[in-house]
Amino acid sequence: MAGFSAPAVWRGRTHRYRLVAGKCTSCGKLHYPPSYSCPYCGSRSMVEAELPRVGRLMSYSVVYSVPFDSKSRAPVILGLVDLGVARVISEITDASPEDVSVGMQVEAVFRRIAEDGGTGLIVYGIKFRPVKGA
Amino acid sequence: MAYITGVSMVNVDRHYDKGVKRLAAEASSKALEDAEPDTLDYIIVSSSFTYASDVQLDIASYIASYTGFRGVRALAVESGEASGLAAVSVAKSLIDSGLASRVLVVGVDKLSEWPTWKVYGHFSKFYDVEGEGMYSIGMGGIAGILMRLYMETFKVDRLTLAYWPALMHSNAKLNPYAMLRFAITPEKVLEAPPVADPITLLDSFPLGDGAAALVIEGSGRGNVLAELVAVESATGYPSIALPEDPLRFESLERAYQRLTQRADIKEVDVIELHDSFTIMGILELESLRLAERGKAAEAVSRGYFSLGGEGPVVNPSGGLKARGHPIGATGVYQVVEVALQLGGEFPGLKVPDSRHGLAVSVNGSGSSAYIAYLRSVG
Repeated sequence: MAGFSAPAVWRGRTHRYRLVAGKCTSCGKLHYPPSYSCPYCGSRSMVEAELPRVGRLMSYSVVYSVPFDSKSRAPVILGLVDLGVARVISEITDASPEDVSVGMQVEAVFRRIAEDGGTGLIVYGIKFRPVKGA
Repeated sequence: MAYITGVSMVNVDRHYDKGVKRLAAEASSKALEDAEPDTLDYIIVSSSFTYASDVQLDIASYIASYTGFRGVRALAVESGEASGLAAVSVAKSLIDSGLASRVLVVGVDKLSEWPTWKVYGHFSKFYDVEGEGMYSIGMGGIAGILMRLYMETFKVDRLTLAYWPALMHSNAKLNPYAMLRFAITPEKVLEAPPVADPITLLDSFPLGDGAAALVIEGSGRGNVLAELVAVESATGYPSIALPEDPLRFESLERAYQRLTQRADIKEVDVIELHDSFTIMGILELESLRLAERGKAAEAVSRGYFSLGGEGPVVNPSGGLKARGHPIGATGVYQVVEVALQLGGEFPGLKVPDSRHGLAVSVNGSGSSAYIAYLRSVG
């Protein structure tokens, strides 16, 4: 996606680089990315918690209609990953669409996730790849 | 009380020769044919891409003066894909509060203004840009995840889901304002190029420009098309990763519940709902309890929601799928279409003797939902 703001990308570095979720101290539930309040009970009492790195692919989409900056690597596989304590939407990498199936084990890896062609800004963060031999 | 007394639509298409103000002005002036400028209290503009694309700020004022209403009160409403119904709800509250007695709502957006790759980038902003919006979700990425999850969860095959776009195209054939006025078979949907697999091009709304306008008045003395009984809304989860069951739109369920508390809705004859993608239409039918969970696609395939079927007629306009989805304008089109059905004046597929109608709008994957209930006055 074009038009990323450098301060916005910088602010999100912790949750994006280390898969840090918000954990509610009232109801105990986790959510990603961290919010100001708990999306489940509304409490504003939050701490940070790192999420597990391995999960199960609940569903996915193979996206062809991508913005310009990811055109060269289309189609992009977008997945809903269940990490047990929380779920995340992320890109599935190191796999072609034929390699991907619902229920497969996936693990977090650190990758380049977006690039702003206009400013040269590169956004790094977590993607998920199939677990070898799983 | 709020009544719809004037309506107008521009045909959804690629209007390269007309800008946002021009499309809005054409729709507005037609809807207001019998109104004098000084009797108009407010103009509420619904537009989403005008901001997303840095085209024009304070768009409502510029539309007002361009159309010939300099001096009127004007403001713009933005709620992503749900902007149109959000604007209608603001207009209705101005009428209900007594602050205004005649309000013009005009929805307008142009998607043909930029290359498609840029438009896809804007679409990702319907979702949380600090979350999944950081990834290349493009057009339909999130809906594609929902569609596969639906197929897996309820064991529904791809072909059964293809009856939705086939019905939408069939309905749109008679609608002079629809962008895609040709029939397709369910098989054709599966053969179409993938957009966000399992979503194909024929499951997706076309990229067009449009403007629609309606006049809401507090007095039903004049030429009344329908009564706007109630508009309700709710916010929902910011991501499908958060709810335990991503296949339920909690925002829409809550908005509908609020609507039924506000108005006694005994039956529904016609609905215009937000089928940006096939799966969205299906999940909305289930959120409104018009079909059992996991069964809406099958009900569509056996004609339950078609004209002459057992259920309410859904999207006689052709819906977002075939009428089109000029983002900020869409909700206004929907209310105009339902009002025309109830007044017996819809120029496309008519739902005979319809007296009760709903319009439903959802942004993204349910960050917000709006629902309007209209009743005939005859």
